[in-house]
Amino acid sequence: MAPEVHHLFHHSIADHSFTPDRNTVAVTRDNNVELYVKSGKSFSLKDELRGHDKTVTGVDIAPNSGKIVTCAQDRNAYVWEPSSTGWKPTLVLLRIDRAATCVRWSPSETKFAVGSGARLIPICYFEEENNWWVSKHIKKPIRSTVTSVDWHPNSVLLAAGSTDGHARVLSTFIKGVDARPEPSAWGERLPFNTVCGEFLNSTAGWVHDVAFSPSGNAMAFTSHDSSVTVVYPSAPDQPPKAVVSVATQLLPLTTLLWTSESEIIAAGYNCEAYRLSGNEGGWQLAGSLEAKAGRAQDEREESALNMFRQMDLKGKTKNDTVLNTTHQNTISTIRVHAGSPESISAISSSGVDGRLVVWNL
Amino acid sequence: MTTSIAAGGGNWRTINIDALDPDSPYNFDVSALAPSVDPVSAADVTSLGTQIRQLLRGGDAEGALRGALESVPYGADAKGKETHLGTIIEILQSIRQAEMSPILQRIYASDGGVELLDVLMKYIYKGMAQHTSVAAKPAIQPQPTGFSQISGRSGGEGGGQAMSVLLSWHEKLVEIAGTGSIVRVLTDRRTV
Repeated sequence: MAPEVHHLFHHSIADHSFTPDRNTVAVTRDNNVELYVKSGKSFSLKDELRGHDKTVTGVDIAPNSGKIVTCAQDRNAYVWEPSSTGWKPTLVLLRIDRAATCVRWSPSETKFAVGSGARLIPICYFEEENNWWVSKHIKKPIRSTVTSVDWHPNSVLLAAGSTDGHARVLSTFIKGVDARPEPSAWGERLPFNTVCGEFLNSTAGWVHDVAFSPSGNAMAFTSHDSSVTVVYPSAPDQPPKAVVSVATQLLPLTTLLWTSESEIIAAGYNCEAYRLSGNEGGWQLAGSLEAKAGRAQDEREESALNMFRQMDLKGKTKNDTVLNTTHQNTISTIRVHAGSPESISAISSSGVDGRLVVWNL
Repeated sequence: MTTSIAAGGGNWRTINIDALDPDSPYNFDVSALAPSVDPVSAADVTSLGTQIRQLLRGGDAEGALRGALESVPYGADAKGKETHLGTIIEILQSIRQAEMSPILQRIYASDGGVELLDVLMKYIYKGMAQHTSVAAKPAIQPQPTGFSQISGRSGGEGGGQAMSVLLSWHEKLVEIAGTGSIVRVLTDRRTV
């Protein structure tokens, strides 16, 4: 089925998030977050969340409570709640001295994690008695900017990718907020800031994105060496059962998503989404999501002689400003659109080209 | 404290505040983050080179190339790395143009082949850097227009030839290993 393409504006989209009914989408645009509502086949602008005074880097809508969290390069995060007079922001005390890079609600929606350039991850939660959002910092082994975070289904473990080349699994257990998690292969006792795993691949390229598998029993990360690495832990404090790395022929992949325990969708600088499939025994690139009609007669690069001849004869060379991919620039975020976590049936992607695309898998 | 520094006439704008912060990466050895490599002595690299050249003389160019790429001396010093580069360039020059693609295909298809081709890409770039720096350095002449021009690779005929070999290897390699291979060379902290 053809992907559903919405060209929202001519600005890059750093992050987007749909409401659970998939009728409203929040997209970042410069210093603001814009809310688009689906009317018929297209999206129209309904509301704007103004408050940040630097580029917004992350937005996430909590599916149950409907609260929106945003973070930006101005080192702040806001939680937006609907009220009779519109969206009401609450400032979150992140206490960071560098830009915030990404933000995600925990599945329990009582906490969210913010990646930052300050080499730490503020874990934010609501303090009833003071009526504000406070943060606790995960600091310890992180040596560089945190580029991405992803939550384990138990809302305690957090995967974080960093420009120091490591993908880490950390505990964010906060007393009074979290219930004691079930022991898993990642760890049994999990006080705050426990490091359950630290992984890097052979080139130690910086990590663009991390993601837990639907069960949370595996973690994948993509790094700037055009590879995707999947880690299967064995038991607490033991080396992992398997670490499988796929070095692709593509440009680096900046975002990835598990669509089932045996399939990952990843996209990035190639402007195209790719399917990877595998298991503990090995992973491989299974191909692009795009149907390649007429891609076979992909024109070869023109020779300089030919180019000048064309210019001389026709006054112009061939129009080669359009890529034959759906996205016309780097894809920055892909998200789940439909389906259960164990078998995702649709995903949405957004990128530097200002397009929002819904793909049926 | 700020006032005392300012009053003391020190230029406080140039103080490196990162040096004063114990948590700063400035005070942290970043090399600890990179994958560790085993040190290799220059003598080992030389003896390896001799073995590989024997293979090459025996007519097994593919085996020689594979052997050279498998035993890449990441932990060697500059001289050792130079020696290994010489060995690899020699192998590359001894393989005919028509044989390049089939050899690369076979290596790519084999176990761990992607890694080997990434290593080859590193050596191709290193080889290119080398030949240009040797041949071009004395040839850069400042022009009255303010532009510097690298005037041909005169006197470096041999260098030019090596460059054309490297360029055809590069072309064939990108066809097989893709742009991913180039990105990995740029990203990898283990240098050759």
